Amino acid sequence: MIRYTITTVLLVLASFVVQQFIPAFTGFHQSRILLVQLVFLCSAVTVGSPTMLLLAFISGFLWDTQSYIGTLNGDPQIYTQPVESLRFGYSILLFAAMGYLMQGVQPLFHQGKWQFSVVLSGIAIFLYLMAEYLIICFVRGGMMMDRFIVIQMACTALLTMLFSPIVFWILFRIAALCRHSINPAAAKKKNRRRRR
Amino acid sequence: MKPLNLIALLLFLGAATWALTRSESAVRDIQSKYFAAISPFLKSGSELETHARAFLEETNHSKALETELEAMRGEMGRLRLIESRYRDLETENNQMRRALAFKKLTRFDVVGAQVIRRQPTTWWQTVEIDAGEKSGIALQYVVLSNEGLVGKIDRIDKDRSSVLLLTDEKCLVSAKVEGSREVGILSGQRSQADGEPRLRLKYLSKDAQLKAGQRVLTTGLGGIFQPNIVLGTIESVESDALNSEAIVRPAVDFADLSTVFVVLSGDP
Repeated sequence: MIRYTITTVLLVLASFVVQQFIPAFTGFHQSRILLVQLVFLCSAVTVGSPTMLLLAFISGFLWDTQSYIGTLNGDPQIYTQPVESLRFGYSILLFAAMGYLMQGVQPLFHQGKWQFSVVLSGIAIFLYLMAEYLIICFVRGGMMMDRFIVIQMACTALLTMLFSPIVFWILFRIAALCRHSINPAAAKKKNRRRRR
Repeated sequence: MKPLNLIALLLFLGAATWALTRSESAVRDIQSKYFAAISPFLKSGSELETHARAFLEETNHSKALETELEAMRGEMGRLRLIESRYRDLETENNQMRRALAFKKLTRFDVVGAQVIRRQPTTWWQTVEIDAGEKSGIALQYVVLSNEGLVGKIDRIDKDRSSVLLLTDEKCLVSAKVEGSREVGILSGQRSQADGEPRLRLKYLSKDAQLKAGQRVLTTGLGGIFQPNIVLGTIESVESDALNSEAIVRPAVDFADLSTVFVVLSGDP
C-alpha cells in the first residue's frame, strides 16, 4: 500500500516534467493534453481519501508554482485598472474537488469497470477548466463565454480523456509490481475463476 | 465519515489555507526552487526538441535552408554594417547630449535568447527563454522580436526567465495609434476567437477616427516599455456611448516564436 502511494506521488511528479514538453494543438482549437490533471484523476480513483488529498495538495501546489504570474504593473497613474492575478493555491482546492468527484465512481472501479472512470476523467477535466475559467472571470470581472472557449475546453477534455486508458494501464502495472490490489472485487472474481 | 478521512481533510484544509496565504515574495521563492529543481529536465528536454526539429527541418528542406542561409548571411552582414553605423550615431548623439548638458542618455542594448518552453496551461500566455540574471536581465524588462513587442519579463532565474506575452490579458501596454492623437491601453483578450490572437486597445475617445491598417505603437508612458515599439495594426473599431475600442492584430507571430531579444535597459 505504502509503496503504491509513494509511486503514485512520483508518477504525479514525473507528469509535471513531461507536461513541460506537451504543446498546444493549434489545429485542434488550441487544445492540449493536461497530463498532470489526468494522472491525478486516474490515481485519485485508485487510492483512499487521505492519499487523494495528499496528491491534490502536491498537484495543485506545483501547478500554481509553475503557472503563477506576478502582480507587478507599471506606473499606476497610467495603468489605472490593472488586471488581477489569481491567488496562489486555488488549484489545490480545484484538484481536491475533482478528486472527490472521481472517488464517486470508486465502487464501480473496484468491480473492475474502469471504463466509467475513463469517461468521468474527461468530464472532470472539462469541469476543472470551466471552474478555472469562471474563477478568472469572477476575479477579473466581465463574463465572456463564447463558442470558442467552450470548444477549446471540450477538445482539451476529449483529447486528455483519450489518454486515460494508458494511465490506468500504467497504474495497474505499478499496483501489480507493488503487490497492491487497486480493484479488489475484480481480483476476487479472477481468483474464483482460477479455483474453478 | 471515517476518523482517518476527517483528520486527512482537516490537515488538507490547513495546508491549503497555508498555501493560499503565501505572500508574492514567498511564492517567487517557491517558484525559483521549483524551476531550479526541474531545470536539468527542461534543459535536456529543450535540447532534444531543438535537435529533433533541426534534424527534421534539415532533411525536409536542406536545399531551401541552404538558400535561406545564404540570404540570411547577406542580410546579417548588411545589418552589422547598419548596427555599427547606428552605434557611431548613438555615441555621437550621447556626446552631443552631454555637450548640451542633457542628462538622459539613450541606451538600447539587447541580449538575444531562445524560446525553450511554452506555457503548458490553457489560460495564461507565457514562454520561457534561455537567458536570465547572468545575462543582465531583470524583472519587467521588455522583450522584442524583429517584428515588434513580444512582452515583458515576469519571472527570473539565473539562466532562464519567463516572458508574459503581449497576448495575455494581464500584459497591459500604453499605446498610441500612428497618424492620430488617440492613446489607450492595449492588452490581450481572455478569449482568442479561432485561435488567432487579437489584442484590444481600450479607452480611446468616443469619436476616434481610426482606420483598419493603422499601426499601433508604444507611447513610452508607464515606466516599462520604450516608446515607438510596433505592437500591431488596427483591424476594426467598436464604439459605445462612452468610448471606443479597437481590435488589433499583433505584429508578432506568436505561434512561430523562436528567437527574442531582451532590452537591457530599465529606462523607457
